[in-house]
Amino acid sequence: MQSGTFHTTYASDVSLRPYWPQRIRIVMVLVAALIFPWFADRYWLNLANTIAIAAIGAIGLNILVGYTGQISIGHGGFLAVGAYTAGLLAVHLGTPMWLTIPIASFFTAAVGAFFGLPSLRLKGLYLAIATLASQEIIIWLLTHGKLLGIGESLSLPRSTNNLFGLPVEWLGNNDFAFYWICLAFLIFTVIFVSNLFRTRTGRAFVAIRDQDIAAQVIGVDLFRYKLLAFATSSFFAGLAGALTAHYRGVISWERFTIDTSILYLAMIIIGGLGSVSGSIYGAAFMVLLPAFLSNMARALSSVVPDINSYLPYLQQGAFGLAIILFLIFEPEGIVKMWRNVKDYFRLWPFSY
Amino acid sequence: MHRWKRTFGWWVVLALFATLLAACGGAGGGGGASSEPIKVGAIFDLTGATADVGTPYSRGQIAFIEWKNEQGGIKGRRLQLISEDYAYQVPRAEELYTKFVTQDKVLVFSGWGTGDTEALRPKITEDKIPFISASYSATLANPAETPYNFLVAPTYSDQLIIAMKWAIDDWKAKGNSGLPKFAYLINDSPFGRSPLADGTAFATSQGIDTPLEVPSPRGATDLTPQLTQIRDYGANYIFLQNVSSPAALAIKNAKSLGYDVQFVCLNWCANEILIKQAGADAEGVVGVVPFDHQAEGAKVALEYARQKNIDYGGADSTFVQGWTALSILIAGIEKVVNDGKELTGENIKNALETMGEIDTKGVTLPVKFSPTDHAGVKSTRIFRVENGKWVAITDFISAR
Repeated sequence: MQSGTFHTTYASDVSLRPYWPQRIRIVMVLVAALIFPWFADRYWLNLANTIAIAAIGAIGLNILVGYTGQISIGHGGFLAVGAYTAGLLAVHLGTPMWLTIPIASFFTAAVGAFFGLPSLRLKGLYLAIATLASQEIIIWLLTHGKLLGIGESLSLPRSTNNLFGLPVEWLGNNDFAFYWICLAFLIFTVIFVSNLFRTRTGRAFVAIRDQDIAAQVIGVDLFRYKLLAFATSSFFAGLAGALTAHYRGVISWERFTIDTSILYLAMIIIGGLGSVSGSIYGAAFMVLLPAFLSNMARALSSVVPDINSYLPYLQQGAFGLAIILFLIFEPEGIVKMWRNVKDYFRLWPFSY
Repeated sequence: MHRWKRTFGWWVVLALFATLLAACGGAGGGGGASSEPIKVGAIFDLTGATADVGTPYSRGQIAFIEWKNEQGGIKGRRLQLISEDYAYQVPRAEELYTKFVTQDKVLVFSGWGTGDTEALRPKITEDKIPFISASYSATLANPAETPYNFLVAPTYSDQLIIAMKWAIDDWKAKGNSGLPKFAYLINDSPFGRSPLADGTAFATSQGIDTPLEVPSPRGATDLTPQLTQIRDYGANYIFLQNVSSPAALAIKNAKSLGYDVQFVCLNWCANEILIKQAGADAEGVVGVVPFDHQAEGAKVALEYARQKNIDYGGADSTFVQGWTALSILIAGIEKVVNDGKELTGENIKNALETMGEIDTKGVTLPVKFSPTDHAGVKSTRIFRVENGKWVAITDFISAR
């Protein structure tokens, strides 16, 4: 039980995870993550990698939307920038992934900061449409790729999938090897972003979200921090994009359309705005939902023979239904539901 | 309200738990005992951007498997089709492909779109899964790069060049002097753009101006602006590389604009859905139809569909295409079984490459693969809509 906690030093007061149940949970999650790939087949590894990459992107978007209050519908575009930067470097220069991934992330951060420029003047719906425009501009550039020397799809040479000269195949098959890479980047992202909001910069972001005029009055440089929020957010989008490019081996712009932007927004809304763990839950939920429905349908197909012909329509409806139900019953997302569960046990048996 | 919240929460937890259970249940199976069914994987587009043609194509494939099983399967072994809708989404295609290959242990795979087939390329090679796709993108025909992809129709590039050859002859036959002007009205996707570079290279080699390329936005309800642009350019022939519904829209829009132009559909809009949707405006539209549904070989498929009351929306040619495409892949499996070899992806690939001509009884020219060439068919005929029906107007034309 997590009670009777007294902090006797400043260090323990500001520590990120002060309670031992939290620490035990983290250790358990880490152990599970380390054991998982040895038991999972490639299908589950593929799902896990998809979730990890989506979680990195969702955490990035959450920095912008959840923590800084700047709505963005351009995340798909930034993912594309990351993927294509890594892809073009790998294809044309044969750059290995341990170089393309950071380069792509920083380049996407720069592009994100550029498209964040309107955020100084625009807020809310207006900013949403401005970011939507950035999505369209990026995709337009990619589809009319003759301007940039891009064909329909980019196929990355396998040899560029190497870490400091060591080919990733050395770790095992593609899905298994990338599990470790994606997991490492996800852990880096989680640690970085969790700590970001304990710094001066992170607090400035939150101040802007809560009331930007008040933030300005107390001395927060709005222009600088808004751009910084766009850059940081895009950095992680670029990271997710670059990982996608190297993991999948082939990229085309179809993967980064407006639908993707909306999907990422749905992830952070369902997972929980302004929460790192919520972004991961949301990513997992959105990736697992279709898989869950198809597995369910197959399990039921002996009982309800026609279910397979309805399944496509169920899947389409399920996304919409999930979002609506969450907005009505738990607008704060999965992270709040998890908190409720914890609170229930914390207070048990005196739940009133 | 609070109780509702909690109930909802429990439902979500239960649902996620059930995912794990359901998936674990599906993880078993596989193995190679000879009494087990031979598993064939497929992804269909039943709800996505190309669902109008994806649906009859899927019905054709399902019907073929059922028919084959009624005929006794392959030496007594049943075929089992493991398929699902992927809504034309690349990530979904990757997920389903991995699931079918790793958990269901499918031996061969039938794909759909250009974007997803291209995205699956490295995996297909790694997994050694013989793969046919409804995408005839020329990038999939070279076994040096994609050793397990097989093309069962002329590539989109070849289709476009064949269409252009016909157009040049047609232009001359109508007594026009000089050279015609060409335009592309295409699906805004890798599928739409796939043949354009090769087509343009051919057109310019014939002295024709570089064709104007106009993408039609996804889900557009009016293509008048695009057609106006093409009219201002002065195109005499518009090549449609799109699926039926947007193509029909373009044809109707052109009519209402009063723009008299010759439309030429490539494979995926040259079917009955186009005629149904464009009505009388479809008269005179020309199409490249690689799978002839009036041929002798198509009768089995159409007769079976009639017997079983299979609803494929009247799209005979697309239904026959799905049926025939899968039958070519299955022919490879049959050869391996008849030779008494072990059923593996590698053996099926070798069988397809070395078995010589696969006869489709006139639906296509005999399909022939070789270790250096996976474009099974090189030539096709041109059809025209006459009195609401596709009628062949040429003999087989080859692109090269």
